[in-house]
Parts: sequence; structure tokens; C-alpha cells
Amino acid sequence: MQAQQRFGLFPVLVAACLLAGMAAGCSSESAPPKQASVKPSQPFELGNLVEPFDAPPMDELDKLQWVDGPLIDSLEQLRSEKAEQGPPKTTVAEALELRNDFPRSRAANDKILDAMSQLAPADGSGVDYDHTFVRHVAGDLNSTNPLFMSSITDAELSALSGLYLIGFNRRFEYFADKDVVKSWQRSTDNLVERFVLRDDLTWSDGAPVTAEDVEFTYRLIMSDHPELVIPSLQQGPDQLRYVKAYDDHTVVMWHKEPFATRTGNMNWPIIPKHIYEKSIYEDPSMKRSAHHRKYEQQPVTAGPYELVSRVRNQEFVVRRREAWRLHDGQEVRRQPYFQEVRVKVIEDLNTAILALKAGDIQEMELRPEHWESLTDGEDFYRHNTKVMAPEWTEFHVIWNLKSPYFSDKRVRWAMTCAFDYDELLNTICRGLYEPSVGTFDPTAWMFPKNGPQPVKRDLDKAEDLLDEAGWTDSDGDGTRDKEINGQLVPLEFQLMTYTTETGIQVATLWKESLEQIGVAVNVKPTEFAVMQDKTLKHEFDATFAGWGTGTDPDQQENIFGTGFQRNYGQYSNPEVDKLFQQGRRELDQAQRAEIYGKIHLLLWEDQPYTWLFRRNAFYGFNKKIRGYNFSPKGPFDFGPGISAFYGAFQ
Amino acid sequence: MAAGDVPLGDSPGFWRQAWRRFRQRKLAMIALAFVAALTLVAICAPLIAGTRPIVCQYKGRIYFPALYYYNRNWENPIFAKDRFRSRYAENLKKDPQSWAAWPLVYQDPYRRVRAEEWPGQPGNPYGAEGKPSRHNWLGTNQQGFDVFASMVHGAQTAVSVGFVSMGIAATIGITLGALAGYYGRWVDVLLSRIIEVVMCVPSLVLILALVALLDRVTNFHLMAIVGLTHWTGIARLTRAEFMKLKQMEFVAAAKAMGARPGRIMFTHVLRNALAPVLVPITFGIADAILIESGLSYLGFGASPPNPSWGTLLAAGRRNIEDMWWLIVFPGAAIFLTVLAYNLIGEGLQEATDPRLRQDAH
Repeated sequence: MQAQQRFGLFPVLVAACLLAGMAAGCSSESAPPKQASVKPSQPFELGNLVEPFDAPPMDELDKLQWVDGPLIDSLEQLRSEKAEQGPPKTTVAEALELRNDFPRSRAANDKILDAMSQLAPADGSGVDYDHTFVRHVAGDLNSTNPLFMSSITDAELSALSGLYLIGFNRRFEYFADKDVVKSWQRSTDNLVERFVLRDDLTWSDGAPVTAEDVEFTYRLIMSDHPELVIPSLQQGPDQLRYVKAYDDHTVVMWHKEPFATRTGNMNWPIIPKHIYEKSIYEDPSMKRSAHHRKYEQQPVTAGPYELVSRVRNQEFVVRRREAWRLHDGQEVRRQPYFQEVRVKVIEDLNTAILALKAGDIQEMELRPEHWESLTDGEDFYRHNTKVMAPEWTEFHVIWNLKSPYFSDKRVRWAMTCAFDYDELLNTICRGLYEPSVGTFDPTAWMFPKNGPQPVKRDLDKAEDLLDEAGWTDSDGDGTRDKEINGQLVPLEFQLMTYTTETGIQVATLWKESLEQIGVAVNVKPTEFAVMQDKTLKHEFDATFAGWGTGTDPDQQENIFGTGFQRNYGQYSNPEVDKLFQQGRRELDQAQRAEIYGKIHLLLWEDQPYTWLFRRNAFYGFNKKIRGYNFSPKGPFDFGPGISAFYGAFQ
Repeated sequence: MAAGDVPLGDSPGFWRQAWRRFRQRKLAMIALAFVAALTLVAICAPLIAGTRPIVCQYKGRIYFPALYYYNRNWENPIFAKDRFRSRYAENLKKDPQSWAAWPLVYQDPYRRVRAEEWPGQPGNPYGAEGKPSRHNWLGTNQQGFDVFASMVHGAQTAVSVGFVSMGIAATIGITLGALAGYYGRWVDVLLSRIIEVVMCVPSLVLILALVALLDRVTNFHLMAIVGLTHWTGIARLTRAEFMKLKQMEFVAAAKAMGARPGRIMFTHVLRNALAPVLVPITFGIADAILIESGLSYLGFGASPPNPSWGTLLAAGRRNIEDMWWLIVFPGAAIFLTVLAYNLIGEGLQEATDPRLRQDAH
């Protein structure tokens, strides 16, 4: 059993945790996404984006050359890896006595992580199966329907209750989930995939999970109707040529091309056909009708947990499904470790810290100021411990290249040279974060061998670059200016940022830094939803933002590819576009690394962003919680992720 | 003068009597002294705390770099040209003949003072380390900005928001109230309806809408909105006073002498109506300060970095467990200032309204 994962890269907040268009980076299409072409009044047509395809009969398929794809129980895989590493050097009791003094020393952190990451024994001894894991999220659930996932909170629910054929481990290696799939075969030309589902899977209403559900979900995702708004899942399935159920348990998928990203394109949540196959025609929005509202409240799911209650802006609760473990009275899967997972929404992180200290929540992501001063006392360590682990999340400022200020590369480099990185890293980030040197993490396989070094602040160079670019203080008012189309334009721009304390602090530091070279910055704290809207419409000069990692560097095309949806700064470099296409067609990992390394260097050279810092994962956990391991996407978002967590008897 | 005549001095006028009565109220006088001191601090803020010289000689000429704190464009461009980059102490040495007079405290409300910037002064601590100390009298905030400097420059915000917004409100309220009260009939009906409509406009919602619309929100925007929405009480009071006073003999006399309506209204009637109107203005100043602090506290104030008492208080709320100084000092400043204006208002009311005079009984 494993929790399911999303695989796209996603925007991250400094304090709140929302995301949008999570999988938007997964496009393998070389052109930007298309707009809806059907009028709202037109009847709904299921799968109208799927191109006509004459699926061959099964006996024809049998003639293809097939190789088996990896079929894995990710928890067992992780258990094997742990066993290879040998027993932990620190006991849990010793680890829980330690005070984590990172960044002064890593020793305590490593010991805590070493002990607390140990998995529960395979026989489940020591696991408190009655435990309720109380988690923290900073934003409310938008929808219980996994097709409408648009925030990290939505994805948390989908991870606990959803059903996926494909998952990935902490090294982002894809596999078919052994709890769901009986066999997975891939044709030797890498164009056809054949899955046989297990016959002991049921939906929470008792109906069996079938291959028809997989085909139906694919066709639903690939449906174009203005009322049906699927925020993030189309990119990926849109690279499949066709999906067909051959019998109750066999489903075959055809790729358009044998891309390197082909496995990730099959990673999407499955929804029950019998619930939606008729109602979708009556209400294509899947949100308005009484039928759809009913299933929004009580979704039919097939994962290890099912939703049992939801109080808007407060919490949602999922409970372990007996039908996941037992089928016809036989134990067919491992029992999930928690009886319930209660996910509490606490927007104010300082309130969340108090709740963690009081034991009201059992995990939360910590910010620098929390790590440094609010979690170092007895009041925190009474119930909790804290750990740090590497994560591929970076923060940056996006320059809008179509604004009059930032179209010139020299201006962007001037901004980069003028910023006070020491003050950022030491004061605002409390020495916990590291400087970012581009879009890929320096520890990632796609980071170039001769990667860039962190920028040192150089105000003279910054001023010289602005002078070269024609931005001088011609009117003596203290702000640089330039004549553009006959008008004197001052170099005064708006810097949009989150309303979080760290966001405002970073933006304020930008203001201070740039003022020293005669550039005026107006800091504009903006609500996350408004900020998303403005960035999507390119209505900004510069904005502070962050990206978590996707599972594949190809997903960055959505951010830096010409005309793509999340290319907020409207960056365009034909060479980068070409390299992205090359990268997805190249199947050799070493060659791919070289291609993405080139992209990294080109982006660094062009500076469409000023990369600021890399944020690792900092978490506080209740002492009762064990089994946490980390991937570059954090402790939850991979296989086994949350499925490895357990509550221990104390 | 004949022998035995008692010399007759000038009989004290209304304002002199009011001032005499006001002076007798100790609390009101203390409050007035506090507000006067606060105003002085606000006006002289760049002289008290700053990182730019009040006056300096550089390359043979005299400059006033501290004017930057009033308006960033008032900083002479020579310092930008010579790449001073806000570090005067170090860069003035480029001219061996230079000299400078510095503010009392070398701290800045808009940034953290770094190590080595000022001889013998370490860099400001930040976070929970920023307790009140010899170099940071009232401590520092999360980012290491000096709280004393922020409080001093925040006084500018508080005082200016109070005075300017109520200045706007008083101008509109007195003018419209005077017109409505003096002319009566359709003018009164029309203006009274306008007053009622404006009373229905929620200023807070208006401010929030404005903050969302504007790229760069300044305190002047807040002052304008508060001023444009808080004049109705003043207008109604002025109207009532004018309706009462226009029946008086001195108005009839002025009319008989051929005085024009404008002169009668603003020369003869207004000076008699002003005393009761001053009271809501004083209370309004306290209100305006609270509104600004409240907005900054909620994060809807002027664009950051915004040295406002409300901003400091908001930072204190976020760090309530370990940074008490971010709550105590700005909280006390807001409390005392609002209290002072209320005491002044109350004192004014008692001093100018004969019905409330204790010595009248």
C-alpha cells in the first residue's frame, strides 16, 4: 500500500501552502496549450479531444514484443533500502532526547532523521493502529474530486484516498503500484503500455474497480467543454494517443511518441465511471447538480482511506477503509497504519506552532523564524522533535520581460548583481537556506557539471550595466530614467510579493538594495489568489515566487518555453525551446542530463529570474510519529510517503 | 482718567476664557503637552534617528541629506552620482574636508544597520536576539530594523494622518455644514441628503478597495480616504450651530450693514460656531490614528517598508512569544496618543461649553 503522488512541479509559498496547475509542467507538447473551442450551450461530448484511433484487437497486441515494467510495493522497496543501510546508529529514545541545533551542527539532525526515519517492522509490531494522525495545512480544500485538484491540500486528500496506476519513489523512479496493478508491460518500441488491474479492488460504495474506470477517466480528462474546468491534469494524458479497456481488468495505453517522459504521462487519479458516466452529460461542470454536489460531499474513492467528514476552513478527516485491506474475507493488502488522518487548516503559522506545541497537531512545516527561536525550548520538545532534509525548492524574482524595464538582459543582470544576498541568507533566512544558482538544484542529476557559482553582490557592476543599458539619472531626481518612445520613463517598478512575513521582508530588502543604485521599487503585498491571476495574465513588473520540483526536468518547459502557460515572465529563447524538445526525445539519461544542463546555463545567462535561495524541508513532528523519510519533494509526496508514517506506542 | 476711577482692562474674549478654563484641567494640559512633544518628535524625526547627516559639507558645498526622510527626491543627486549608496559615514571620507552633523541616534526606520557602518556600533541583531540594548533602545524587529527609529518616524505617520485627514474632514464638514445651516431650505435638504449618503459609505471597505487598486499605497491615500469619509459629524454640528446663530442679532446687524453672505458666514458666524466643532475634530484625530494603526496592523497600510506603530504591533503579534518589545512600545504609543487626543477633546468640550463648566454652577 502506498499513498499516491502528484508528479508536477508546483509554486510554493514562503508561509502558506497552495499550488495551482500542479502538473502543468508535464506537457510534452511543443506548442502552448489550446483554449476551449466548444460553446457552453453545446452538448457535452466525452473525450472529444482524443483523436480518432483504431485500436487493434488484443490478439494483434499479443504479437508485439513486450517487456515487463517495474511492479513495486514502495514501502517494501524502502524497507529493503533501509536494510541495506544497516541498523540506525541512534535509537528512537536517544533521538527524541536530542535538541536539533542545525545549522550550527548537522550531527543532531542526522541522528534524529536516522532514528525517526526507520520504518515499522513488516509485521506491524509497535504500530498503534488506532492512532489518529493530525496533520496541518495552511489552506482549505477546494474540491474532493481529484480531477479538480488545485492546491496542496487537495493533493493531500487525493494522496490518501485516490487511486493511481503509476507512482514514483524518492529518486523519482516510476513504477506501477503493486497494490493496484497485477502486471504492467511495455512494448519494446516504447509506444504501448498494457496494464492488468487487480481484481480485488473496490470503490468505497462497494462497486469493483475496473479498466473501464481508467478509460473513462482518461476520456473525461480529455474532454473539451467550457463548463468542465480541470485545472492541472490534462498535461500528461494529452501526450497519450489513446486509452482502451479490453476487459474488466486490462487497459492499454498508446503514446503519441516514445518520449522520455512517457511514464509520467500515465500518472493521474482514477474516478468511478458508474458515478459520473450519466451525470456528466446533465452537468458538465461536475459541480452544480444535486448528484454532483452529493458526491462532492461524499466522494466515492478506492484508495486506502475514505473521506468521512469535512468542515470548511477547519479540517477534513479520512478514515482507513477495511475494503482496501480485506476482499471476500481475505487480507489482500497491508492495513494502513493510521485509523484516521485528520487534516487541520490553520492559516496563521504562529497559531499552528502553538497547536504543535500543545499536541493539537502532529506535524507542520517550519519557517526559518520558527526553526530558530520558537521551536528550541522545552515547550516544543515536550511533545515534538524537528528535522531538516534536502528539498529541491527554490525562490526567485520573476522579471516580466515584456515590461519596459526588463527586456534588456543587462538590466536583469544589474538587478541580480545589486541584491544583498548575504543579508537575505543570514538575516531573513537565518542561515538555514542556501543560495540558488539557477532553475535546477545543484544536487539534481540534470544540474550541469560546470554549473554557475552564487552571485556576489557587486554594486559597481550593477550601476555600470544600467549605465550601459541607457538607464541614467538624467533629471537628477535620484531615480534612473531612460527615454522610451519619446517619453522619459523612470526606473521605478512594482515588486509583487506574498503577504507573508518572509515575502514582505525579501521584497523590502530588494527595495533597499536597488535604491542604492538609483532604482525605485514599490513593494506590493498581494493575496496569493490575486497574485496567481496577475502572473497568469502577465500583469506585473516583477514578482517574488518559488517553485517546488517536478519529477522530470521536462516539466520546466511549462515555465520557460515560449508562450507556455506558466511562463509568467514571457521569456523566449528558441535555443531553450529546441533543447526542451530534444530532452524529451532523448532516452539516454546521461544525454538528457547534458541537454538540461545546457538549458540551465542558458537560463542563467539570460536571467529571466534572479534566483535567490534554495529552501530545504524543515518539519516539526510529534514524538509519537515515526517513519518519516524525505524526497526532493518533501516527506509526503512520493511513494511510500505518508504510507510509511506511523503512530508508535509510547 | 479721573481720580478714583477704577481702570478698566480689556474684558477677556471667549477664546481667552476658554484657554484659561482649559489650563485649569491638569490632565488636558498634560495631554496637550504630550501631543505638542509628539508633534515636535514627528517634525524632527530625521534629526533624532537616521543614517543620513542632518547637514554636511561635501566638496565645498553644504547639503541636507536627512531631507530624504521627508521626500526621497530631496536628497541631492551628487550623492547618487558619487555612489554613496546610503552609506554616508563611510563615503563622506572621499572628501577629506567634509564634515557632518548627525542625528542623535544612528539608526534607520527603513533598513537594518549593518556592522562597520558606524564606528563602534555593531550590526543590529534580529529576531529574538533584538532585545532593547544600548544600541537599540527599544529593540529591533524580526528583520533587524531599529524599533526606536521606527517609533520616531512612525510618529510622523501618526501625527500627519491625524492632522491631515481631519484637516480635510474639517474643511469639507465646516464648509458644507455652514452652507446648509446658513441658507437652509433646498440647500439644506440637498446637503443633508449628501451627508446621509456619505455617512453610509464604509470607510474601511473603501480603503481596502483602494489598497487593492493602487500600485503604491502611501499614507496620503489613507489620509484622503479618512478625510473624505469622516466629515459628516463635523458638517452636522456646524449646520446646527449655524442654524442657531443665524437668528442672532449680530448676524442681522451684519446683514443690515450690507455684508455679503460669505463674509457673514465665515467671519461672523463661524468664529462663534467653531468652539463646539473643535471637539469632534479632536476626537476625529484620535480616530484617524487608530484607523491608520489598525490598517497597518492588518497589513493594509502604506506599502512596506512602512514605519508605523501598527506595523510594529503586527510584527509583535506574529512573535508574541519572544519579542515583547514589539508589543509594549508601539502599543503604549498608540494608547497614550489616542488617550491624549481624547483628553484634549474632553477638555475643550468642558472649556468651551458653558453648560459643562464646573465653575458655572
